[in-house]
Amino acid sequence: MPVQKFRSIEEMNKAPEPSYEEPPFERFVRLCAQYWAIAPNPYPRGVFKFRSIEEAQKARLEHSMLERRGPQV
Amino acid sequence: MDRDEIIRVLRAFESAGLEYVLIGAAAMAFHGLVRATADLDFLIRATSENIERLRTALREAFQGDPNINEISSSDLLGDYPAVRYSPPTGDLYLDVLTRLGKVASFETVDAELKDVGGISVRVATPAALYRMTKGTVRLQDQADATALRERFNLKS
Repeated sequence: MPVQKFRSIEEMNKAPEPSYEEPPFERFVRLCAQYWAIAPNPYPRGVFKFRSIEEAQKARLEHSMLERRGPQV
Repeated sequence: MDRDEIIRVLRAFESAGLEYVLIGAAAMAFHGLVRATADLDFLIRATSENIERLRTALREAFQGDPNINEISSSDLLGDYPAVRYSPPTGDLYLDVLTRLGKVASFETVDAELKDVGGISVRVATPAALYRMTKGTVRLQDQADATALRERFNLKS
């Protein structure tokens, strides 16, 4: 069924997922590779320590924002 | 980190006997909820022996990258329960946690074994992932919690 129609976003979200022949883990790896090919944003190499998961998430967000801003001239 | 590296890491974890549970987007993918991510998240048992296994496994997977020596028991068992390791190659990095605030630790997260490439991967159950993500502030976590609740008919 190439086209499906929904009356609302809620109805769309409740629609059954399309069935994939590819196992979910393989699909996940492929999707990540595609994502990073489109929007490369490599984290600096090495080991980084955080006092909490929130602190780790904040560091990732700040890194992403810096990368997207690009070099300042 | 590409597919082969992920497999290499999981195999090294298995051969080192690391006690871990996969959480986050990669764990959701094992349950059929697939989205892209920048990291692989692992909750590990918080003992110095297990942290030594982690170092052994990472050295095996990443050809003895000297940065791995910076991962220490004193940090992971002390003030720094979250360590991010960005390996020398690839795009993905690893977030290793010994505790997740007061919400979760290795001992409190239900997990099940999944097979990938002949490797047994210990993956958090949908209900465990839901407990970890619901009620958090981050929008991505809220979206994950909603997806888990709806897909697996979990009670909020």
